[in-house]
Amino acid sequence: MPRKHLLIILVLVISASLLLFGCGSDQTRDDQNAGVASEEQGQVDVIRLEGGDWGYPSPYAHYPRGPGGFKMALIFDGLLERGEKGLIPWLAEKYEIKDNGKQYLFTIRDGVKWHDGKPFTAEDVKFTFEYASKHPMVWSDIGSDDIEKVESVGDRQVLVTVSEPNASMLYNLGQTRIIPKHIWENVDHPKEFTGPEAVTGTGPYRLTDYNKEHGTYRFEAFGDFWGPVQKVKVIEFIPVSEPVLAFEKGEIDLTGVSPDVLPRFQNNPAYKVVQSPGFWGYRLLFNMGDYPVLRHKELRQAISYAIDAQELINKVERGAAVPGSAGILPPDHVMYNSNVKQYNLNLKKAKDLLARLGYDRLDEKGICQNKDGKKLSFTLSVPDRAVRMAEVLQEQLAKAGIEIKVQSADTKTHDARVRNNEYQLAVLGHGGWGNDPDYLRERFGGLFKGGISPSASGLQGYNNQELNDLLEKQCLEMDEQKRKQLIFKIQEILAEDVPEIPLYYTTGYSVYRPDKYDGWMFMFDHHSLTHSKLSYLERD
Amino acid sequence: MAGVLKLLLKPIKTIKKFSLLGKTSFIVILLILLVAIFAPCISIHPYNVSSGPPLSPPGGEHPLGTDELGIDLWAQICYGARVSLLVGFLTALLAALGGGLIGIVSGYLGGWTDKILMRIIDIMIVLPDLPVMIVMAAFFGPSLLNIILVLALFSWVFPARIVRSQVLMLKEQGYIKSAETYGAGAWYLIHRHFLPEVFPLVAVNMVRLTGRAVVAEAGLSFLGLGDPTSKSWGLIMHHAINFAGIYFTPFWKWWLLYPWLALTLMVISLAFISRELEKMADPRMGR
Repeated sequence: MPRKHLLIILVLVISASLLLFGCGSDQTRDDQNAGVASEEQGQVDVIRLEGGDWGYPSPYAHYPRGPGGFKMALIFDGLLERGEKGLIPWLAEKYEIKDNGKQYLFTIRDGVKWHDGKPFTAEDVKFTFEYASKHPMVWSDIGSDDIEKVESVGDRQVLVTVSEPNASMLYNLGQTRIIPKHIWENVDHPKEFTGPEAVTGTGPYRLTDYNKEHGTYRFEAFGDFWGPVQKVKVIEFIPVSEPVLAFEKGEIDLTGVSPDVLPRFQNNPAYKVVQSPGFWGYRLLFNMGDYPVLRHKELRQAISYAIDAQELINKVERGAAVPGSAGILPPDHVMYNSNVKQYNLNLKKAKDLLARLGYDRLDEKGICQNKDGKKLSFTLSVPDRAVRMAEVLQEQLAKAGIEIKVQSADTKTHDARVRNNEYQLAVLGHGGWGNDPDYLRERFGGLFKGGISPSASGLQGYNNQELNDLLEKQCLEMDEQKRKQLIFKIQEILAEDVPEIPLYYTTGYSVYRPDKYDGWMFMFDHHSLTHSKLSYLERD
Repeated sequence: MAGVLKLLLKPIKTIKKFSLLGKTSFIVILLILLVAIFAPCISIHPYNVSSGPPLSPPGGEHPLGTDELGIDLWAQICYGARVSLLVGFLTALLAALGGGLIGIVSGYLGGWTDKILMRIIDIMIVLPDLPVMIVMAAFFGPSLLNIILVLALFSWVFPARIVRSQVLMLKEQGYIKSAETYGAGAWYLIHRHFLPEVFPLVAVNMVRLTGRAVVAEAGLSFLGLGDPTSKSWGLIMHHAINFAGIYFTPFWKWWLLYPWLALTLMVISLAFISRELEKMADPRMGR
């Protein structure tokens, strides 16, 4: 008899849960209607996006990847912001570059208020630069010895004197998030400061809810914001298991889609599909510091020749990417040099190069070895989402006689491993490839500013004096055209030397409903619609 | 010679007593075992290297289609059977050996040893196994051996409890008492009297543990905690599910369906066999 009872209970449970699910979707539909109602002015009450924990959105506590940093940037403003075409004045009304790049004079905006109602002053800017030099922020744009001194000139002007002129300094100063002096002046350990005051900024949004466990954030428009009207009143980041499904059901308002799913949304006026520029890429890193064999240029070139980037793109990204340029800068970059040496698949060249290094015989498994019996066998560390890519790489390199063992870890563990140089070969994916080319100096000039962003980590044991000189020279060059020539030359050297292999830059698709909200835009050097602050604000 | 024959005949006799369902299940497991053993012969394509266009549907050169990298699915499933069976049987064996030993020690010695062991078993039963397994698999890093060890660590309690109660009961039997008075040592009693009595129960339990381990391994691999380059069924499904928007494409119809089918068949068959065996070991179940 108990079996019959069980059956009845089971049926009851199932019907109850069905009822519950039904209610759930009704509710979302109601919300959608609410969104449409106030849509006349192009405004929307709530925009929901895919969540996930990316750390507390203070300039010192967020995770050093886009989804963390750009949430923080909703709360905190910089003196300049990244617009559609380039940098635009933001907290600074205007700026002047003096003394051939040695001094920057920022005139700050009047009537700006912090979220707690206190007025924003030039003192705050001065304090921020001094504090950030002492305690580097997560996305540290300025190092400890970049700034010589900061003076406030009157109430509304700040004069920054840098240690030496640097072409990317304006970008770096402008991007530094300004923090309130009255809150941070007594904070000695900014990384541990995660109270509600820690997210007081001047930005268009205030953090009203954050749940680390669920990975949810809620941002509400700040009423006294100085700048453009917020077209989105509330931004919510919610947990999502299958983004495309959640988007179709209207739970989230924008999602990335793979090319296979694209036909569902294309040619349908209810949806708008946008392709991202290729500023998010994967690179293959060599730990040349701990593994001397990787210091041979020929080996790295051979690996380049053995990799078929197009196959990787077709299989792993389903075609939505562009192959890496050996000169590092992606084709969409303003300073991209299209004439650098490129390494297309060429197994013969790869084998010749290996033979030149002495790896001219194969063992029984087809792995190259030299006359001492030393084999070309490497461990490749990958984040878990790139395991499939690692399998393709394994197969491709095996054809050239190089054995690859794959080791995977979750993204955050993997980032930390690469940061601490605990790898032999590694695949690292991140954004920021479109930024000012001065990042080449950070990566290859043996200069490490102390930031923990994945885009800055992962190269040790590489030193090329000619390259270093050029990298130093380009950042002192204030003339745009002359600098471009230098950057072109740098790309040529990088392409010849292959200190790392850019595999490909993704050009994924995003889809959204223009009826609900149509304000999305890309920043001039970035790959994501949701990351740009101006996406949520009134623009002309 | 006759002894060996008898030993071989015994399981066959047992299987003859199975119901139709039990017999079918046995044949299915036997088939999977054969597929696993002869994987290199029956799969035309390699299981770890691409051999065709990515995501081609079943039919033609690839009987079950290919995955996103163009690797033949049939080959992957054949080799996956090896992983699943290996994990299943090794885990069950380890758990049965460890659990059986602990059960006998606990039941035979009694006293404080028994109390301590029983409390440990209580704790292990109360612990939710999947979350702890996830933590341990994440901590020890993804490898097949680790998965087997972690699974065994959570499976030994079931045989241990059963064996202990059996030993407790046997201990009070007259013939054991008299053997003891004749000076039989602990070892003699264990291998002469306890093991033969306890073995059928443990064997039944092992079948069930195998099924459980196969599912758990698939689950851990599915969550991405398995060996990333091994080809277990759970891992095939993991890759399929992680393919962006798989349900909006036709790909799930082979990439996800076939490994799932194989897994389900195997687990259901194991469950039926264990039920049949239980019926035989315990006539009260046969109602």
